[in-house]
Amino acid sequence: MSTHEERNPLTVVSPRSRRRRLQGRLMELLASLAALIAIVVLLVVIFSVAKRGLPAVNADLFTQVAAPFGVEGGGIKNAIIGTLIMTAMATAMAVPVGVLLAIFDTEFASPQVSVAIRMTLNVLAGVPTIVIGIFIFGLVVVSNGQSAFAASIALAIIILPVIARATEEVLLLVPSTLREGSMALGATRARTVVSVILPSAFGGIVTATIVGVARAAGETAPILFTSSIFANAVVTDPSQPMASMPFAIFTNSESPSQHDQQVAWAAALLLMAFVLIGSIAGRLLSLRTRRQIEQMR
Amino acid sequence: MEMTGMQRVTKTAALAMALAVVALAAACGSSGSSGSSSGGGSTSTVLTGAGSTLVAPLISQWEPDYAKSAGITITYGAVGSGGGIDAITNRTVDFGASDAPLSTDQATACKSCLQIPWALAATVVTYNVKGVPDKLKLTGPVLAAIFSGSITTWNDSQIASLNPGVNLPSTHITPIYRSDGSGDSYVFTSYLSAVSSDWKSKVGASTQPAFPTGQGAEKNSGVAAAVQATDGAIGYVAVSYIAADSLNEALLQNAAGQYPEPTTKAITAAADAVTTIQPDGSVPLVNPPASAPDAYPMSTYSYAIIPQTSPKAKQLKAFLTYAIGPTGQAFGPDLGFPPLPSAIVAHSKTVIAKITT
Amino acid sequence: MTTTNLDPSSIPLPTRRRPRFGETGLRLLAGATALLLVAIMALLVYETVRQARPSIQEFGLGFITSDQWNAVTDQFGAFNFIIGTLLTSVVALVIAVPMAIAIGLFLSELAPRVLRTPVGVMVELLAAIPSVVLGLWGILVMGPFLAAHVEPWLSDHLGFIPLFSGYPSSQGVLPACVVLSIMVVPIVASISRELFLSVPSDLKQGAMALGATRWEMVRSVMLPYVSGGLVASTMLGFGRAVGEAIAVTQVIGGANAISRSLFPPGDTMASRIAAQYAGTPTALSRSSLAYLAVLLLIISLITNIAAQLISGRLQRRLGGAA
Repeated sequence: MSTHEERNPLTVVSPRSRRRRLQGRLMELLASLAALIAIVVLLVVIFSVAKRGLPAVNADLFTQVAAPFGVEGGGIKNAIIGTLIMTAMATAMAVPVGVLLAIFDTEFASPQVSVAIRMTLNVLAGVPTIVIGIFIFGLVVVSNGQSAFAASIALAIIILPVIARATEEVLLLVPSTLREGSMALGATRARTVVSVILPSAFGGIVTATIVGVARAAGETAPILFTSSIFANAVVTDPSQPMASMPFAIFTNSESPSQHDQQVAWAAALLLMAFVLIGSIAGRLLSLRTRRQIEQMR
Repeated sequence: MEMTGMQRVTKTAALAMALAVVALAAACGSSGSSGSSSGGGSTSTVLTGAGSTLVAPLISQWEPDYAKSAGITITYGAVGSGGGIDAITNRTVDFGASDAPLSTDQATACKSCLQIPWALAATVVTYNVKGVPDKLKLTGPVLAAIFSGSITTWNDSQIASLNPGVNLPSTHITPIYRSDGSGDSYVFTSYLSAVSSDWKSKVGASTQPAFPTGQGAEKNSGVAAAVQATDGAIGYVAVSYIAADSLNEALLQNAAGQYPEPTTKAITAAADAVTTIQPDGSVPLVNPPASAPDAYPMSTYSYAIIPQTSPKAKQLKAFLTYAIGPTGQAFGPDLGFPPLPSAIVAHSKTVIAKITT
Repeated sequence: MTTTNLDPSSIPLPTRRRPRFGETGLRLLAGATALLLVAIMALLVYETVRQARPSIQEFGLGFITSDQWNAVTDQFGAFNFIIGTLLTSVVALVIAVPMAIAIGLFLSELAPRVLRTPVGVMVELLAAIPSVVLGLWGILVMGPFLAAHVEPWLSDHLGFIPLFSGYPSSQGVLPACVVLSIMVVPIVASISRELFLSVPSDLKQGAMALGATRWEMVRSVMLPYVSGGLVASTMLGFGRAVGEAIAVTQVIGGANAISRSLFPPGDTMASRIAAQYAGTPTALSRSSLAYLAVLLLIISLITNIAAQLISGRLQRRLGGAA
């Protein structure tokens, strides 16, 4: 107790160590400031969209299509329906392929093939979405015309790596004891996957799907060349081009009409709410799945 | 029991995969005829088109009226004249709309497409400068100098000398042009090429010219928005957008030295002054001769681009006849489009007659 | 005592069961998706190069150094847009990477534990904002704000630097840089955070035990340890910035020429494709836009593979050092 009175060499504050401490504090402050700026920017964007979008969210938005030239008013009914349909189609194509790809990658492939697949997925994830738009335009639209289907294919290609990687992560989390136990009981690899691993990883697959849907709903570049010439009415036939929310935001953002700009903000609000809620839900679900899998250890 | 469960899962997965593969295969495989039409053949009740944003206001008036009278739904995508030419060349739509006639290469690529004048309108110069009133006077060479960057401020002597009594600020000029393939760009740059040999040699006329300075925007609405949002901006839009968005309009000096407003009367005067139909079916109206003192110098026809053979020939002919006829043209004047001269109507009718299945 | 009269040779050996349809089925199916992935990648490259071929044949590598883009004379070159792409992406990285590394540090070391998850989530949410919404905000809010308040200030105080000279403009390279940095920050921040979390605690504690302040520990131990990973994450951020078309084309103003200043309109490769591809007048202009896409593809492939190689090497080193 009395040692507190003596000078403890470890706590002596010399001018030099004071400077070092100050420098340290300053750097930490800057780091906190950086985080603060990032949060502020996020809040500013959300706030801008909400402030300008909320007043424009009314019944008209959901029940009307765009007004003809020179007439004020109109909504994005066809765009909302178009996005729902195209996102659903893209997810329906990407989820089976993505999950199977992840299964192949983690369970069946040899290590070298596994690395190659992961690398290819990462490369595909890095391809600019506008290039994917040109790709599908040349492949599908030039010979068959624009369609929601073509747009969905482009969207599916974009979200495929997202879903495959997320599924892979959760498949790898499943403890090897489960795998080994199953094999010890005489099950084959495939049997193990279907009856043991997939059920444990199911929450993760749902998360991957949610993340994929949120991503697909917000992409604009693939739609520019595949579904940009559409009827000003609700279209439900996937072989026809459809309006979509990202495209509606894109065109209305460059419009001189105050009303059109407000529609753009409202659509942005809806889209952002959908995407942000999806991201948060995906995260919560992913945490829950992780905890469940941890408990299996 | 467990084995069948296993097989069930595998079969479901196989089905989903098969769907995905079939989807991709269908996308690659099928040869396209008239792609986006719901069922080809002459019984379809839908006509799809794409192109010019200049004529889009008029078409949006035709759509409900024609649906009522003929029961045919017109779906039009206003993506710009360039996009319309592309779409009809690929036959992904039934008709294209362009204010710029097809170039030789485009005509070859389109494989016997017909150009049918179906509307008469104009491109108008608009500007937004704080403190400067509407109807500023400009000449072609001054306009060319502005858009090539030689004149950079609004109080430049060349502009001031044309507008005595107008208090011009020293605001920097921001030229706004179309970045997409645009018939209005074609009309604008054709006019500038006609009145300025410097412009003609440096930039020339095109639906997508290489403007040396300024800011690009998509579609007429984009240019209107950009001009509205920028103090000191000057741009060009189709005539309907001036009234619709309450934009300023600049008065251009025509060959006779007059400064006509772009009214239907002035546009008609231009159309009456130029009656020669070019071999490709186009009638360029920019910079009419001095013999037409009231003519607006940046007038233009807008053309429907139709393939000579089309499975929807019947519907197309009926629609085009409606469009160039009195019913269709009646919607024009409120939007700034004067009615087509009768000689042009007659010409269009003969071209329409060439469309076959 | 009963002894079963068992002759060892009479005990039937367990027969090797032929795999049921279900098992081979799943294996084949899963393998087929891998083939599908390769097919998609190959088709992607093939189709883009096919569309670009007329332009590649016409201009060859001179396309990269030519600054012409003229549909009237049918002369095209990517130079202005390569510069535009590099300018916007590099400025975005300069703004975003230090900030993101600082955020990664904050989330892994500095923040009070209770703040780490919420702040981390919010930073990741930045990545979830659709690019078209960022572009909308850029056109109608951020661009005008920059032109009215930030650019005049920069021009007045730092105007001697060519980057900040010229007239303020609400559409231009600077708003594009801001938008791109918003997109890059979450990518680099989340990777940085994981990298910092992976530094072995004995290394960190060792430095602290030797008397280093927390910042000195970061600077002398953590940063060098994760430097390779940070480089990899920067490359991923660069790839993202280079490839962004929509938000950039909404705010950059689609100009044909490049300028040394950040204020006036410009254009990038991706943005030009988005603005001009649908409805470009000549076959060669369309093909040249596809050539731009090929260049984009090459850049994204190189940055992506380089980033993966660097992080692969890093993982092996980490695995060995542990």
